[in-house]
Amino acid sequence: MRVSLKWLKKYVELPNDLTPKQIAYDLTLRTVEVEDVIDVKEKYNNIVVGKILEVKQHPNADKLRICIVDIGEEEPVQIVCGGSNLYVGEHVVVSKPGAYVVWHGEGEPVKIEKTKMRGESSYGMICGAEEVYLDAFYPAKSETEIVDLEGKGTPGQNISELVCMDDTVFEIDNKSLTNRPDLWGHYGIARELSVIYDLPLKELPKYEIDKNLPKYNVEIKDTEKCRRYVGVEIENVNIKESPMWMKADLLNAGMRPINLIVDITNYVMLAVGQPLHAFDRTHVEGNQIIVRNAKPSEKLLLLDDQEVQLTENDLVICDTEGPLALAGIKGGKKDSILDTTTGVLLEIANFSAPTIRQSEKLFDEKTDSSIRYEKNIDTERVDLGLSMALNMISEMFENSKIVAYGEVYPVKTEREVIDIPQEFLDIRLGKVLEQNTIEKILKALGYDVEYKNNIYHVTVPVWRSTGDVSLKDDVMGDIARILSYQSFEPKPLPVKFEHAVIQPKVLLERRLKEYLAFRCGFTEIYTYPWIDVKYINAARMDTTNSVRLATPPAPELANLRTSLIPGLLETVSKNLRYYNSFKIYEVAQVFEKGEYHESSEDETLPIHKKYLSGCIVDKDAKKIFYEIKGVIEGMNTYCHMENITLEQMEKPSWADINAYLSIKLNDEEIGTMGLVSVATMADAKIKRTNVAIFELNLDKLIPLASRTNKYENIPVLPLVEKDLSVIVDNNVTWETISSTINGKVKELEFIEEYKGEQIPEGKKSITFRFKLGNDETTLTSEQINEEMNRLVKLLNKKCEAYLREE
Amino acid sequence: MKEKLEQIKQFGIKQIEEAKTIEELTEVRKELTGKKSGLAEIMKTMGSLTPEERKEIGMQTTEIKNVFATKLDEKEEELISNKSVLDEPIDLTLPGTKTSKGVLHPLTQMYYDLNDAFASLGFEVFSEDDISSEKYAFDNLNFAPDHPARQMMDTYWIEGTEDKKANERLCLRPHLTGASVRYLLKHGAPARFVYPGQVYRNEDVDSGHERAFYQYEALIVDKNISFSSGIVMIQTILEKVFGRKINIRMREGFFPFVEPGYEIDMECLVCNGKGCKVCKHNGWLEIMPGGVIHPNVLKSAGLDPEEWTGFYINIGLERLAMMRYGIDDVRLFRSADLRFLEQFK
Repeated sequence: MRVSLKWLKKYVELPNDLTPKQIAYDLTLRTVEVEDVIDVKEKYNNIVVGKILEVKQHPNADKLRICIVDIGEEEPVQIVCGGSNLYVGEHVVVSKPGAYVVWHGEGEPVKIEKTKMRGESSYGMICGAEEVYLDAFYPAKSETEIVDLEGKGTPGQNISELVCMDDTVFEIDNKSLTNRPDLWGHYGIARELSVIYDLPLKELPKYEIDKNLPKYNVEIKDTEKCRRYVGVEIENVNIKESPMWMKADLLNAGMRPINLIVDITNYVMLAVGQPLHAFDRTHVEGNQIIVRNAKPSEKLLLLDDQEVQLTENDLVICDTEGPLALAGIKGGKKDSILDTTTGVLLEIANFSAPTIRQSEKLFDEKTDSSIRYEKNIDTERVDLGLSMALNMISEMFENSKIVAYGEVYPVKTEREVIDIPQEFLDIRLGKVLEQNTIEKILKALGYDVEYKNNIYHVTVPVWRSTGDVSLKDDVMGDIARILSYQSFEPKPLPVKFEHAVIQPKVLLERRLKEYLAFRCGFTEIYTYPWIDVKYINAARMDTTNSVRLATPPAPELANLRTSLIPGLLETVSKNLRYYNSFKIYEVAQVFEKGEYHESSEDETLPIHKKYLSGCIVDKDAKKIFYEIKGVIEGMNTYCHMENITLEQMEKPSWADINAYLSIKLNDEEIGTMGLVSVATMADAKIKRTNVAIFELNLDKLIPLASRTNKYENIPVLPLVEKDLSVIVDNNVTWETISSTINGKVKELEFIEEYKGEQIPEGKKSITFRFKLGNDETTLTSEQINEEMNRLVKLLNKKCEAYLREE
Repeated sequence: MKEKLEQIKQFGIKQIEEAKTIEELTEVRKELTGKKSGLAEIMKTMGSLTPEERKEIGMQTTEIKNVFATKLDEKEEELISNKSVLDEPIDLTLPGTKTSKGVLHPLTQMYYDLNDAFASLGFEVFSEDDISSEKYAFDNLNFAPDHPARQMMDTYWIEGTEDKKANERLCLRPHLTGASVRYLLKHGAPARFVYPGQVYRNEDVDSGHERAFYQYEALIVDKNISFSSGIVMIQTILEKVFGRKINIRMREGFFPFVEPGYEIDMECLVCNGKGCKVCKHNGWLEIMPGGVIHPNVLKSAGLDPEEWTGFYINIGLERLAMMRYGIDDVRLFRSADLRFLEQFK
C-alpha cells in the first residue's frame, strides 16, 4: 500500500523537522513495515515553469521554432521546439539541462543536455505531458502538442509544486497489514502517527443527512454476508475532471485518476479504508437494490467485457432485472459511469470477509475494494465513508442534489470489552508502567479505559473489534509496541536445572551422522521428499503404497518417498558427471500408506519411518561391497548402539543377484545392503561404475544407555602373533573357517583372500592372523609348532583345508 | 716426551674433528683411548722416568685424556643431532596424506551448533513427522478458517485428503509451529525445547525461493515470564551462528500463533548497519519472526493461558547459512551437488 505524506498531514500535523526517514522508522518499529520511502519530487528535478517571450521560425527546419523563454533565471534562454501550440505569453513546461525526460513517453528516462539543433543552440526542452509524467494532469490532444499551463505558475517554479506532486510516499508491506483493517486508509495510519508522536488527530467532518428525503428501496437477502447497505441517489453530477491536488493524491497512493465521481469513491476509500461504489442511476432498473446470493446459472458481464459465471456462494448487487455488480469486488459493465452520466447511485456497504474471499476465487487478482473487505471491516466505518463522500460531492459538484436515501443495517459491529489486571501487565511486560502511561496510550488508540480495583476495564475501538483485538494479550501488545519493544530491557530466562538434557535417541542419530561423515568419509546430502518416478522404477520399487501429493511440483514428482534409495540413485547419476568415486548418505523420513496417530486419536497420519541410507560409488564392485559392509559393522562400536548383524535373506529389488545382505537387530530385519544390480544402474543412467548401497530404519536402532566397552587384563606374558595361509574349496566361507578355530586362538583376524596362478582351479587361499599364548607359561617354539599343526589338522577335518606352500 | 705428547694431542683432536659418522667416531675413540692408543704406549714407559718427570708427564697425559673425552662427547652430540631417520631429504611441499573427506551438510552443521547452544540453556531437541494435518498445522495455531496458506496453491496437500477438513486433511507440514502443540500435549509445561526440521511450501523456485527449506524453532513455556526474556533466545542463535554479538531490533509483526508478534531484524553485517544494497539501504535485515505464544495455541495444547505463557522464535536456516557463507542461490542446499557440499568441511 502506498501512503502519501501530504495526505497524512491533513489529519495529523506532523512537525516539519520530522524527516520521512524517521517517520518510516517509527512506523516500522511500532505499526507496519515501511519497505521504501519515495521522494516523488525527484523525478521532476530541473523541470520548471517557463514563459515564452518570443517565437521565431527556425531558419533551417520547417517544423521547428526558436523560443525565447523566461525560466526564472537572470537571462531568458533560447530553446528549439517542435510543438504545434506555441505562442508568446504561453506558460510551458521546460526541462532544463540535468532533467530526465521520457522521449515521446516511451522507453527509459534520458538526461537533458545543452545542445544545438540544426545549428541553433537549445537550452533544454519544452515538453509534452507524457515526457515529464504530467499526462494525468494535462492530457495531450495531439502528439505534437506541448503542455499549455494556461498561465499558471511563475517562471522558474518547479513543476511538481504546480501539480501538487511535491510529496513523499511510504511504500508499506501489505503483509504487515493483514490483521489491521483499520490501517487500510490514510486516516488509520495518521491515527498511529498521532499516538506515536503524541499529536492530536483531527476529527473528520460529519454530513447530516436530511431525514425527510424520499426512501431509496434497498433489500438485503443474506444479512450474514451483507451487514449494512446504504444507497444514496444523487443528481446533477455531470462528469468532469478532478482538481489537481486530488489527482496528485490519487497518483501518489497508486491509483489513476478517471473522473471526479469515480475519483471521489477511490479517494474516500484511500482516506478511511471504506470501499464505495457509484452506479449510473439510470442503469439501475426499478430504482431498487437487492443484495442476494447469485442463482446457479447467473452470469455477470464486467467492464472489460469479461463474462463471469457466478455460483450460489457469490453475493451480487442486483436491480429488478438481475446482477449489476459482484458485491465488494467489481462492478459490472451495465452499471458503469460513462461520460454521459448525470446522476449516480452511491453504494456504501459492509460485506463480510468470508464472502469476499469466496468470490475473489473467480479472479486471479484482488481489487482495491476486495483487499479491504477481506480483512473484515467494521460496520460503523460506513458512516465515515458516507460523510466524507457526501461532503466532497456537495463541495465539488455545486448543483448536486441528493434525491433519495436508503439504508438497511441488520448487523452492527459491537465493541469488544476486556478486563486486564494490572498484575498481568506487570508480569508480561516485565516492567511496571504507570497507570497514566497505559491510559494515555490506550485512549489515544481509541480505547475507552476505566481503572478500578487494579483492573483496567477497556472497551476496544470499533475499528479494532472485528477480530484484531479480543484478548488482554492483544491490548498488552498494543501498549508494548507503542512504547517500542526496543524500550524493554532483555530479561534472563528463568533458571530451573532439575535435570540435564539427555536424549539418547537424538544423540544416536548425531553419532551416526558424524561416524559416517568423519570416520567413514561420507558426504551428507539433502534431497526432496517427492521422488521422480523414473528412479522409483529403476530401483524396481512399486508405488502402490506411496503417499501422493495432490498438486505435485511436476506430474512425475507426485510420489513421496518410501525409501531413500531412488533419491540416492538420482544423486549418484547427477554427480557422476564430475566425480568417479564418492560416498554419500542421507537421513530423512519416508512415508507409506497406513494409519498412525502421532498426537491424538482423531488425527490419522500415514506411516512415517526415519531412514538412514548411504552408498559408495567406485569401479571396483568387490572392494566397495566389503567397504560398505565394514561401515555397517563398525556402527555398533562407534555409535554405541545395540548390535546389528548381517545375514543373507530376501534379495532387495534393486540389488545384484550375488551381493546382498539384510541388516538385522534382535532377529528383525531393519535394513538391507548390497551392490546395485546392472538393470537398476542402466535405468538410473549410472554408467561405467558400481554402487554399493545400504539402507536401514533408524527408528529401530537402540542406543546404549552407557558405554559397554569391557576392560580385560593386559596379558602378563607376551602373546605370539602368527599368520596362516590355507587352501580351501571356493565354496568354503570365511564363517566356516573362523568358527572352526575361534576360541582356540586369540584375536583372529582375516587378512586376505587370493585366487590366482599358484592356486589350483576351483580353490582359493585364505590368509588370517591370530595370537597364541597364555598367562601361565611362555610358549616354546616346539609348543607353537605343535599348536599350528593342530589348527591345520582341525581345519583339514572341518573344511578340507591344507596349508599353502610358500 | 713432552713433544710426543703434544703431537698425540694435536693428532687426536684432528682425528675427532674429521670423524663424519658415529661409526667413524667410535673407531677414533678406540684409537685414542684404547689399550693400544699412543697415550697408553706412553703410560707404559712411565716407569723409566724420574719422579719429577713422572709427575709432570702424568699431569700432561691426564689433561690430554680429559681433552679427548670432552671433544669426543661434543663430537658425538654433534653427529647425533645431525642424524636423520630419512635416507635423504624429502620434498616438504608435497601435500600431506588426506584424512577422511566426508562432511556434514552445512544445514546439519548449523542446527547442531544451535542445538549445542540451546542445550546449555536446558532446551531439549524435539522432532515432529513431516506429514501433518490441517488441525495441527493451522487450526491449533489460530489460523483463520479462510487463511490463504490453507489454500491449494500454498501448501502441499496429500492426494485424497485435499478436499477434507481439519484432522482429515493432510499435508507436508508448511511450518514447524504445529510441533509445538504436539510436544506440549505429550510433555506438558513448563517446557523448553527446540525443533529443527524441513518444511514444505508450494512455491515457484528461483535463487531466493525453495519448495523445501529448513527451519529452526525454539519455544519456552513457563509461568510469569515476560516477552523480553525471548531476546536471550534470539541472541543465542545469532551469537552462535556469527560468532559475535549481533545488534537486533524487535518490531511489530503479525502471525496468527503469537500475540504480540514481532519481526526480528539484525544489523546488516555487510555494511554494519550503515545501509547498503543487501539491506535495501536501511541497515537492518529481517531474519526471524517471534512472539508470545497465543492463548488459543496454549488452549489447543491443553494448557491454561491464565497460568502459562511462553515465547517462540523461528528462523530459516538457509537464510542464515547464506549470510554466514555468502551463498547466493538457495537451491544449492538440496542440489546434492558434491562440488557445493564439499566446501563445508
